[in-house]
Amino acid sequence: MKTKFTKICVSFLMFFALTLSAYAQQVTGTVSDENGVPLPGATVVVQGTSTGVSTDFDGNYSITASSGDTLVFSFVGYATQSVAVGSSNTVNVQLSPDNSLDEVVVTALGVKRNTKALGYSVTEVDGTELSANPSTNAINALQGKVAGVMVTGSAMGSKGSSRVVIRGTSSLTGNNQPLYVVDGITINNNNLGAAGVWGGTDFGDGVSSINPDEVQSISVLKGGAAAALYGSRASNGVIIITTKNGLGSEGLGIEINSTTQFDMINTSMWDAQTTYGSGFNAIVPSSTEDALSEVYSAWGPRMEGQLVPTWEGVQRPYVYAGDNQDKFYRTGTTYSNTVSLSTSGENGNTRFSFTNLDNDDISPNSTLDRNSIGLNTSQKFGDNITLDVNMKYLLEEQGGNPRLSDAPSNANYSLKTYAPSVDVDFMKGPNGNGTNEAGTELRTTNGIYSQNPWFAALNFVNDAEKERFIGSVNARWDLTDFLYVRGRIGTDRYDLHRTVSTPFGTAYQPLGSISEYKLAFKQFDADAFLGTDNLALTDDVSLTAFVGVGSNKVTSESVSANGSNFIVQGLVNVKNTQNQSNGYGFSEKQINSAYGSAELGFQDYAFLTLTARNDWFSTLSMAGKDAPNNDLYTSASLSVVLSDAIDMGSNVDFFKIRGGYSQVAGGADSPYALSLTYGIVGQGHLGASLGAISGGRIPNSEITPFEKNETEFGFDLRMFDNKVSLDATWYDNATIGDIVGVSASATSGYGSALANLGEIANTGIELLLRVKPVVTDDFAMELSFNYTNNDSEVVATNDTGGNISMDEPRSRNLRVTHIVGEKYGALFGNSFVRDASGNIVHELVNGYPRPKIDNSRKILGFGVAPQQLGVGASFRYKDWNASFLIEGKSGGQMYSGTNITMMGAGLHQVTIPAGGREAGFTPDGVMEDGSPVTISIPQGQQSAYWGRYNDAAEAGIYDSDYFRMRQMSVGYTFPSSMLEGTFIQAASVSLIGKNLFFLHNSVDNIDPESAYNAGNSAGLEWFGLAVPRTIGVNVNLKF
Amino acid sequence: MKKLFITILALSFAFVSCEFDKGFEEMNVNPAKANQIDVGNKFAWTALQTSGGRYENWRNSLIYNSVLIQHFASTAGYWSGDKYYRVNSYATSLWDRNYPSCVKGIEDIIDQLNSEGNTGTEMGMARILRAFIYHRITDTHGDIPYSEAGKGYIDGTLKPKYDAQQDIYMDMLSELEGAVAQISGDSSMGNSDVIFGGNATKWKAWGNSMMLRLAMRMTKADPASAQAWAVKAISAGTMTSNDHIAMIAHTDGPEGINKNGHGEVFQVDSNARMSKTMEMHLTGDPRMDVLFEPGSASGGVQAGMPNGSSGSDYTDLDGNTVPGVATRHAYSAVASALQGRDVPMVFQTYAEVEFLKAEAAIRGWTSGSAETHYNNGVTAAMKMLKQIYPATTAITDAEISAFLAGPGKLAASFPANWEMVMNEYWKATVLNEYEAYANWRRTGYPTLTPTKHPNSETNGQIMRRMIYPGGEASTNAESYSAAVARQGADDWMTRMWWDK
Repeated sequence: MKTKFTKICVSFLMFFALTLSAYAQQVTGTVSDENGVPLPGATVVVQGTSTGVSTDFDGNYSITASSGDTLVFSFVGYATQSVAVGSSNTVNVQLSPDNSLDEVVVTALGVKRNTKALGYSVTEVDGTELSANPSTNAINALQGKVAGVMVTGSAMGSKGSSRVVIRGTSSLTGNNQPLYVVDGITINNNNLGAAGVWGGTDFGDGVSSINPDEVQSISVLKGGAAAALYGSRASNGVIIITTKNGLGSEGLGIEINSTTQFDMINTSMWDAQTTYGSGFNAIVPSSTEDALSEVYSAWGPRMEGQLVPTWEGVQRPYVYAGDNQDKFYRTGTTYSNTVSLSTSGENGNTRFSFTNLDNDDISPNSTLDRNSIGLNTSQKFGDNITLDVNMKYLLEEQGGNPRLSDAPSNANYSLKTYAPSVDVDFMKGPNGNGTNEAGTELRTTNGIYSQNPWFAALNFVNDAEKERFIGSVNARWDLTDFLYVRGRIGTDRYDLHRTVSTPFGTAYQPLGSISEYKLAFKQFDADAFLGTDNLALTDDVSLTAFVGVGSNKVTSESVSANGSNFIVQGLVNVKNTQNQSNGYGFSEKQINSAYGSAELGFQDYAFLTLTARNDWFSTLSMAGKDAPNNDLYTSASLSVVLSDAIDMGSNVDFFKIRGGYSQVAGGADSPYALSLTYGIVGQGHLGASLGAISGGRIPNSEITPFEKNETEFGFDLRMFDNKVSLDATWYDNATIGDIVGVSASATSGYGSALANLGEIANTGIELLLRVKPVVTDDFAMELSFNYTNNDSEVVATNDTGGNISMDEPRSRNLRVTHIVGEKYGALFGNSFVRDASGNIVHELVNGYPRPKIDNSRKILGFGVAPQQLGVGASFRYKDWNASFLIEGKSGGQMYSGTNITMMGAGLHQVTIPAGGREAGFTPDGVMEDGSPVTISIPQGQQSAYWGRYNDAAEAGIYDSDYFRMRQMSVGYTFPSSMLEGTFIQAASVSLIGKNLFFLHNSVDNIDPESAYNAGNSAGLEWFGLAVPRTIGVNVNLKF
Repeated sequence: MKKLFITILALSFAFVSCEFDKGFEEMNVNPAKANQIDVGNKFAWTALQTSGGRYENWRNSLIYNSVLIQHFASTAGYWSGDKYYRVNSYATSLWDRNYPSCVKGIEDIIDQLNSEGNTGTEMGMARILRAFIYHRITDTHGDIPYSEAGKGYIDGTLKPKYDAQQDIYMDMLSELEGAVAQISGDSSMGNSDVIFGGNATKWKAWGNSMMLRLAMRMTKADPASAQAWAVKAISAGTMTSNDHIAMIAHTDGPEGINKNGHGEVFQVDSNARMSKTMEMHLTGDPRMDVLFEPGSASGGVQAGMPNGSSGSDYTDLDGNTVPGVATRHAYSAVASALQGRDVPMVFQTYAEVEFLKAEAAIRGWTSGSAETHYNNGVTAAMKMLKQIYPATTAITDAEISAFLAGPGKLAASFPANWEMVMNEYWKATVLNEYEAYANWRRTGYPTLTPTKHPNSETNGQIMRRMIYPGGEASTNAESYSAAVARQGADDWMTRMWWDK
């Protein structure tokens, strides 16, 4: 706490020191619309320079300019106006609406294009939407904001990966996440570890390194046409992140953005029973031994304060111990402070920023500390050469990462499964950290595979350190007034060091173990292209085109040192182990490409864009291979601005229709998959070396990339002075020849075989509606609705049309499975035997009814929700503003391991019949002869009933629908009048909140967004870390 | 100028260099892996996988088999075997682990030996090990993938059919006969043969001894074949001393694969106790204090825990109250000498062979003396302990003689003599639980009283087989359904071919 306090003090000291810095001469004024209503966010630029500012909420601006300069005023939907600066220091302008929109978005290869020329859907999100309400993983801020883009966090707390899927999945088993491009350079987004059936930890993904405070804008290229120019890696769409530059800064611009957030465990959906305590067959534990074996068994009698033995060998009143989650989780804190310096001049601009993010997660001992430095500079050399250099350096330390899924050392598991009479506070032990006097695990149960949660959280080591550098150099040389050459090189490289240790004295591994892992990842990109901008071929026809070549090379190399059985207790060092081993991994792959694009414009309202690209894959190259190692694919798209072509009346400001068809190759991600290899494993045995086949997959030397084809149509309509706008898209895509692991019986010796057999199709719509019902001087409000519906279909899986099995939960009675003719990712598991009317059929066991279980597997649901709805609203009243975003998903299902376990443990409310357990329990359903169940199960036999009931995966299936208050904020922008005479140019403060409450949650006890895995096996939940509630304060100051 | 530019643009686009994939073939060769390795490296790995890891030795061998067969007992709820609980993943753990490891390994070894034209000793060794691997799996589940198993890469079979157990047995027997005939001299594999160090004599003895084991397994199902193969095995020459024991030496690390899987279990799980049944059988047997040691709360006396015990009282299926066990420490634990991670894992012993020969003699299939074979078996079973486990397990000649003259003296008449032989077989196969369980199902000895826990999956009967892995019903549906149609429902009480 002390260091936190120091950090806050330092932040404030910096703030005061900076207010003493320089102050410059200003031109001020107000920008308003045709009705005199102020226009917030209008751009004011000194012509011929890169100096520019934006207007505040009152339409006011203030800019450094000299007499004789020309100020250029622009605002979306309005005609640009230029005004020469005279003797007056005040320049007020009124803009008139312009129907020929000149919105520009960043598209493929960093080319900025006018939106009206785009034949496909691109959505741009302003960077302030990320920095004003930041997440530790920046990309989570897109949740619910962009139609067609599904963002799902993982149940990992502050450090987890996010799953982003655009327009449905394109591969059955391969990567389905988009390509991330930062300042023109592709970055790596590998998930660094994930939890699976046997547990594990997610150490975050590549995009989580992006600093939200540095983001200028995010463009989402959803369609294949948009992605075609990035090649196969973009077959799942592209997310283009542009970081802030120094443009628009007057002289020296200093900005401080500071956010403090508090995270709290959200137990509002938790509803475990609190009536019956630890015990078995309605009998309290009669001994310490009993208590130890029954901490996870809430099958005792009603808690009535009687004294009973506890697991630690004392007698305590048998009462509800209170909510163990509240006792265990702490209030998390995140301090994020950014200082940036920017400058711009006639020939260029530069921005430097430094961010420190310091997070203590709600899970005890879990921390994240991230320091980022960004330096972006753009400089013009002479008249014709521009050089942009972008660099990001990041140092991230993760500590005490929680373990998810299966029980060993998953603190969430132990914590949430304790019977209501069991108090987690007593488990801290004499040292306060879950150890006993000897420093080993204070055992709270006689099973060895569920740890004392304090011991798991405070003694296990699960740390990572990542040092990352992303840099790019982008040069443009204007050869003539219409012809240019661009060249670009860039790199993304990181070194990861992970230390994972099971401490000495852990119940299931008494002597402990340790693993040190180092990964060096390098990605190198180079591109060169020759192009023309807006070349007038005739009076009516213009051409924008380029041709280029590119190369992408990825190398990763890992080394690990592992040891088990510590010799000296407490010395956590790999050399301090009896059994040591090491590991080494290497992979290298490259894609080379040739590509071109031509956009033909007709009278500036119709645009035809054609692209072609050929990719060569090292991963598909092998001496003697017959199948090609490359693929050529093309796209065509057409955009017609009807409102420019014909007169559509005064109510229509803009109406564009668009359509396109594209192909893109994909897959073939893994090197060395074409032939069987062998490796020497382990360190030998009594002088013999051990060798084995590497991997459990049967290689196939004839695989080729898959091809994804997409058709899309859409329109963009803006009406009533831009007060209503609707952007709608329909798309249909299909992946053919997906590289799948043909399912193999384990008895073949292998888990799968590779083949180009998968086919998958997605059809969907994306709607974005914006309405500005009220815009007055003092008050403005804007509502936005975005809606996505994606219908997926698995068209083909493999040679026999058999199922493709994905991950399974720890109960192992269900698997995420791709089944021909069904949606992507069926939850395929065992179920109850039911009669024709759907009643559960029961059999008698020991004279009491128990549900019969059908162990043949059935489709019980689908883990990917097809629908997403985002409802946003923003309000402005004078200098106050407020906004909220409600986000929800629907139409999907999930398998909840937490609920299943709670049923077996007697914690779930369903285990309490009306009238209480004492009154007996008569299950709904029928007996085998079809007669209704009439036999009442006495209290002592009810655990056996639920122990059988939860053997059916069906018992754990829930609709995963939810609507939640994703974001809320209330802010105040200090008016420029208040700041006049100070050194502060702009200041704002806001109160922010995230994930505050559910408007609807159709799952018992847990957050539907608690999947432990960000991979393709969506819909599996097993004691994750719930998404916390967050409140915080954001302060932004500009000097 | 503009025309020139467009021409350049068009030409550049048309220009697609053949050199765009230069160096890609070399790049896509994994520098950290080999295209083929020495068969010896594979043999050592495959044999260790057969010995197995903690996973299946815990679940199938100990949690199910050791308490099913009442060698041990346990109060822990997850020790499912003697209360006949259903835990699918425990029941399928041998299958789950063996097919992707030792089955795949041994099929690859035989494929390599074939392509190298090896028709000699190494091929014989590989075929013997192969028979051993499969017989344990078929004895556990019944009909299993056999002729097409483990060949996913070799011939692309992804969904192997299940062979009928009878066919598997007939093939394994002729495989063993052929394999033994191929062994012509010591193998050059040397210490890569982690079972016998390449010793041809021992391999032949094991091949024939396994033939005898498999032959006797068929006594219920096909007595004629059983007799024919048993006689053939005995005349071909089985193990003749404890030097011939088929086992794999282990070390305590550096990695899991080096360790004895049972030892790894004992390191973390102290639930196994001597069963009451075992206490009864070891009374008067010098092995009592060698195989077990009194529990910390048993007052220094050896005490066997009744099978089916739980931590608290329960009412059994017959309506009787089964008293709870307050602490497992009141009962004898498995001796620490047996718990080492560096003790060998036994596949088949000379003692077992002598007991089977005693049975063959009792059945009149051979002319030898049943008592001689029985005495040899008991002597070998007692003497082998110090050869497998630490020297503290040594039993003196005097103790052996006293036992054989006293409570261990073979009964004179059938079936008492057969029962005694089989009871000794049961004692000699402690920690060879797969074999103990199979032999009990064949012979019914020792006589075991089933437990009657109310949560029993079998209504209080000792399970006759382990169920198939659930995944097979979906990933290998056709073959699985055919096996179930032939063998009977995929449940615990369906009897496999040799158990009918």
